[in-house]
Amino acid sequence: MKLLKNIDKKTFIAIGVLLVVLSIVPHLAKLSTITLMSRIFILAVYAMSYDILRGYTGFINLGHALFFGSGAYIGGILFTKIDNTMGVFVLAVIITVIYCSLAAYIMGKIVLRGGGVIAAAMITLALGEIARNTAERWRSVTMGADGLPFKIPDIFRDRLGFYYYALIFLIIMTIILRQFILSPTGRVLMAIRENEQRATFLGYNTSKYKLIGLQVAGITSGLSGVMFGILNRFANTDLLSVQQTLNALLITLVGGTGTLYGAIVGSAFVNTVQNYLLDLRSVHPIFERWLLFFGAMYVVVVLFMPEGFVGLWNKYLKDRRTKKNSRVFEKGL
Amino acid sequence: MDIFVTLLINGLAEGALIFLMASGLSIILGLMGVVNFTHGTLFLWGGYIFVWIFTFTNSFILGVLGAIIIVFALGAFFEKFFVSRVYGNVPAQILITLGLQVIFTDLVRLFWGATPITVARPSYLAGTWTIGGVTIVQYRIFLIVVGLLIALGIHKLLSKTKIGMVIRAGVQRPDMVQALGINIKLYFTLVFAAGAALAGLGGALYAPLVGSISSTAGLHNQVLAFIVVVIGGMGSFIGSAAGSLFLGLMGAAVAWYAPSLAVVANVTLMALVLAFKPDGLFGLAVKK
Repeated sequence: MKLLKNIDKKTFIAIGVLLVVLSIVPHLAKLSTITLMSRIFILAVYAMSYDILRGYTGFINLGHALFFGSGAYIGGILFTKIDNTMGVFVLAVIITVIYCSLAAYIMGKIVLRGGGVIAAAMITLALGEIARNTAERWRSVTMGADGLPFKIPDIFRDRLGFYYYALIFLIIMTIILRQFILSPTGRVLMAIRENEQRATFLGYNTSKYKLIGLQVAGITSGLSGVMFGILNRFANTDLLSVQQTLNALLITLVGGTGTLYGAIVGSAFVNTVQNYLLDLRSVHPIFERWLLFFGAMYVVVVLFMPEGFVGLWNKYLKDRRTKKNSRVFEKGL
Repeated sequence: MDIFVTLLINGLAEGALIFLMASGLSIILGLMGVVNFTHGTLFLWGGYIFVWIFTFTNSFILGVLGAIIIVFALGAFFEKFFVSRVYGNVPAQILITLGLQVIFTDLVRLFWGATPITVARPSYLAGTWTIGGVTIVQYRIFLIVVGLLIALGIHKLLSKTKIGMVIRAGVQRPDMVQALGINIKLYFTLVFAAGAALAGLGGALYAPLVGSISSTAGLHNQVLAFIVVVIGGMGSFIGSAAGSLFLGLMGAAVAWYAPSLAVVANVTLMALVLAFKPDGLFGLAVKK
């Protein structure tokens, strides 16, 4: 299979073992753990979509939650206004894909005109805030700041069943995004990250490729939003807020930017820590203020661990390899 | 006619407030190439410290001064301990200021609570004048005067004094300024803190205008300031002044004639400016 061609045997076995463990665990775990893990899977996809942008094109999008929240709202609104069946779910997925690629196109057209990372960050922040404000004011459809609770298709109702759907969702999206990164288009994106000027000189229309990257990221993010909405059976304007974008940013930072798998590691780490700290709130009320820890983690990671976990691990592997090689070399002498 | 005058005054007052935030942001961006995402939080701290001191001492002037001093110190702290470590690394600057913004916005909620706190205007600014059938709110006139004074002051400082000369030179070639034996790092800290103090002043003056302050006000005003900086041109002082005025006037007009479009108008304007002049109306040729 082409898909497996560039995975070596060791990694293949490791992934196999991991999958077996992940499919057995929910049968032994508490309901809250199952929900937490489903959450980890879905947010991992969301963070991966962010990594496509930040890690592979170096573009900091502070309005990324726009896609995520829209996905959740599209699902919620359709389930409320039409019916909560599988057919509507498929419809919601299709509409989300169309909506997100359109939104990404418009966003890209505004943001990718000249300007560097700074301008892009400022403009996307403004765009994201506008989307959140609009959702807050458009009470007849989104129920404003109260949030929109909705019914979900019966097939998703079982928490254990949904765990598997979330896992499958994560696996499928990981494969798709990995193929995207390895495709010629993905390679051009990486070239742009490394040296945009050089990529331009090679004849690539860099803003066109960035736009493609933005659209792929937007659609992925929107789909994870649909899943997240179904997990919570609720959508509110927080899903569109800057905080939600920062969630993805922190997850990719902790896991390691530009690694794709870093998003999965980061999502597991951040969500577990959040859950653990919230459990501690009976000890001291300070633990209820998750955002304080969130911000502190942010600053610490940026200052002291900019490569993230996966980056550190890759570095360790590389160091070991160099050491081994140099030892062999010395013996040879 | 009277509607026109009212809208003009409202717009100018709003513009003056936005200007206080945007000018600091713009100078910091121009000199250091740092987008300060903590600006909204500094604005918020200014507002809350003002309300806190004002309710304690009942003195408007003490409240404003206190807000300026404390936010100045906060800005210097941010620069010295966090931002200065990541100069030259744009993504890290954005990320670290975002992290600080999250922490300090949540600290506001921790100290003062998440519910809005109401605050009255001081008695000597609370009244209105009626001239030829037009009601003029004194506090808005006060804001316009403060905004004008600050704008003139910064302009004089930048164009006429030695400090201003160093800052203007630093915007163009910071390494060269350093090579001439001027401690540019000290200037970086000072400018960052001064920009923060302007945001703090903005927050302090904003609270009595709206009549209350809540923790969401920071981000909202930060977005406005960002839009101004983008429209006016990155790092251009005149651009941020013109952009603030324009945004304030447009905001007042849209709020009166088409309130439902208020949210979309700003961004549409930004998109239009970017479509025709990607560097902003008064964009500098210097790109960092």
